Amino acid sequence: MKKFLSIAAVAAVLFTSCSDDDNEKNNVENPATYTFTRNGESTVNFGGQTTRIAMATELVSALSDNTKTKVQLQAMFNHQAGNADFTDANLNSSDKNVRSKVAASNDFFASNTTVSNTIKADFDAWISEQADNVFVSWNVTAQAGVAGKLQQLGSTTVRYFNAKGLELNQAVAKGLIGGLMADQMLNNYLSDAVLDAGSNMANNDNDVVEVGKTYTTMEHKWDEAYGYLYGAEENPESPVLDADRFLNTYLRQVNDDADFAGIADEVYQALKLGRAAIVAKNYTVRDAQVKVIRENISKAIAVRAVHYLQGAKSDLEAEGTVDYAHAFHELSEGFGFVYSLQFTRKPETNAPYFSHEEVNAYVDALLNDNTNGFWDVTPETLDTISAEIAAEFGFTVEAAAN
Amino acid sequence: MIKKVISVVLLALVVIACSSSDGGESKPKDNFDRQTMLVNWADNIIIPVYQDLDSKLSALVEAKNTFTVTADQTNLEALRTAWLNAYKVWQYAEMFNIGKAEGIYYSSYMNIYPASAAEIEANIANGGYDLGLANNQDAVGFPALDYLLYGVAGDDSAILEVYNTNANASGYKTYLSDVIDKMKSLTETVLNDWTSTYRDTFVNSAGNTATSSTNKLTNDFIYYFEKGLRANKFGIPAGIFSGGVLYPEKVEGYYNQDVSKELALVALQASQDVFNGKAYNGTTNGSSFDDYLDYLQTITDGEDLTALINAQMNTARTQIQTVNTNFSSQVENDNTKMTLSYDELQKVVVLLKLDMVQAMNISVDYIDADGD
Repeated sequence: MKKFLSIAAVAAVLFTSCSDDDNEKNNVENPATYTFTRNGESTVNFGGQTTRIAMATELVSALSDNTKTKVQLQAMFNHQAGNADFTDANLNSSDKNVRSKVAASNDFFASNTTVSNTIKADFDAWISEQADNVFVSWNVTAQAGVAGKLQQLGSTTVRYFNAKGLELNQAVAKGLIGGLMADQMLNNYLSDAVLDAGSNMANNDNDVVEVGKTYTTMEHKWDEAYGYLYGAEENPESPVLDADRFLNTYLRQVNDDADFAGIADEVYQALKLGRAAIVAKNYTVRDAQVKVIRENISKAIAVRAVHYLQGAKSDLEAEGTVDYAHAFHELSEGFGFVYSLQFTRKPETNAPYFSHEEVNAYVDALLNDNTNGFWDVTPETLDTISAEIAAEFGFTVEAAAN
Repeated sequence: MIKKVISVVLLALVVIACSSSDGGESKPKDNFDRQTMLVNWADNIIIPVYQDLDSKLSALVEAKNTFTVTADQTNLEALRTAWLNAYKVWQYAEMFNIGKAEGIYYSSYMNIYPASAAEIEANIANGGYDLGLANNQDAVGFPALDYLLYGVAGDDSAILEVYNTNANASGYKTYLSDVIDKMKSLTETVLNDWTSTYRDTFVNSAGNTATSSTNKLTNDFIYYFEKGLRANKFGIPAGIFSGGVLYPEKVEGYYNQDVSKELALVALQASQDVFNGKAYNGTTNGSSFDDYLDYLQTITDGEDLTALINAQMNTARTQIQTVNTNFSSQVENDNTKMTLSYDELQKVVVLLKLDMVQAMNISVDYIDADGD
């Protein structure tokens, strides 16, 4: 018996030493900044992501410029190389565009082009309707069933809504946080199918770099994920956040909520360590970081969704005059984040936290089940959706609301 | 003694637990008899397919010879039937891009579509063409015949006029004849190579290197499924690779307007038959990917990939059966049916291109450009 115990103890020690190893990340050192070199040259590259973020930024600005035509807006979304769609000449000459990367991740949409087309068509419709129905009603006062403008109480800020009370530029901007940034990052570039495609692993193991480049394909794929979050930063190796109006900024906003403080650093550390793990050819550590990134980026989207739904709810329940401009602005942002939930990624699974069908049901509950959309939406509906999202992610509605 | 055994077992467990966390799993030795599989492929599938294609092309040559003497409705229809019969067998042959077929770019001269009506018309008008030039790959083969037999004029009587009363009627007949003769001679070249020398080379290359027969044919098989079937027949017309811009004129059999679905279903059946090792002339199942995967499953205790792949191929077939016989009008009227078919085929591609090759320890020798 004693002998058995001693054996058990020895085994326990061995098990412990084994797991200690894990705690020390199998000796992959996390560098201070996202700086990686080979033979003295940087191996970090995500120009394509910086370009697409810049294109999305110009598009969202143009959605608030009623001198733009529908054709101009559509061209900014679906840019073709050489066309003068943007103010930035570099964007005009680029062969990249935003639309082709919306709902286009390998894991979620390579075998699901039918749904991908449906999602792209949602963005097309929001963009077109902004020109067709909202720009032409720029000086009309919005009301139930009527597109137009509303001024926020005690403020000079004017918001522009469609006939259902939706601010279409917010639907596009917040929808892109999921449909472009999170989907590409979590479900494409951090996907096994992309990181380990073809001979990527063997090439990375043997430091075989891409032709004419300083990086291996696997390193580059990881950088492209990084770029969708930090691609607009002035010094992306040491991000400070608030660098764009998309995922980067909203991660900062979630991080500013004391209930979620630290989330931004967790993401940054995981992206750095995962990249260092690729350099160290340690795929166990790499994969562990993928989980951290997927969980936290997904959570940031969910927190903002609940935050805005709850903000709108308190506006709608205000005593006295209801500030519909502010309420619907928040509701529109919340709508975009809810829409983005279908692009989140549950770690260890091949699925989002909320499926396309579940998100569509929320879209209907907010916008389509009532004749006049947001004008008819009830606080109960906002609470129900908020509670379901919070429960799925394991935080409380209160934590996200304040 | 027993305690000692326990301790050894415990330590072994610890060692396993630790080493598996490094991800360095070693695979059990693969002793599958590749040569039996290669023999089945060569003798029961590939050579019989080429023999049948050669005989269908002989019939096509005959029908053409009759038509060029008497270009009437009856002979036009007989020629069209011979074209379709050969085109269906081609759906099997296209995937065997190995040996002579690979060397002479056989499939590029047999089925590049859409055919270029402009190039065909220019060749006919100018004469003196060389159908072996790469430039003419979209002016020859089955797609060129699709144009010549269905698209060269608005209706059948107008088509017959082209071959009878058109100022250059003899030029059209000559071109029709040259295209068909070229297809026949290319096919003979490939078939004769298989039956004279290449068959033995093929079955004796039974190793696992990038240039071994199994590795090459596995890549050909997957490439055909991914490009020839999934992309060319569905994805490209349905706008999958063009940012949603639809190309109804890029379907297979565009001018015929009625066979794109039939050809696609034959292509899927051809793929599934090869996967399962089914003899081309008969119902016997010999050694193929299915048996290889079953063998690997038993030695690794893995997933039943054979069942998964067959089930997903069946799902794809069910989806394709909902599509209009004319893919072109399907693209224009309800492209969703095309993309749903594409999606089900893509799921097969994932099973073949990731799971199957990983199990077989074979590298995919072609890659798709992706990313920024």
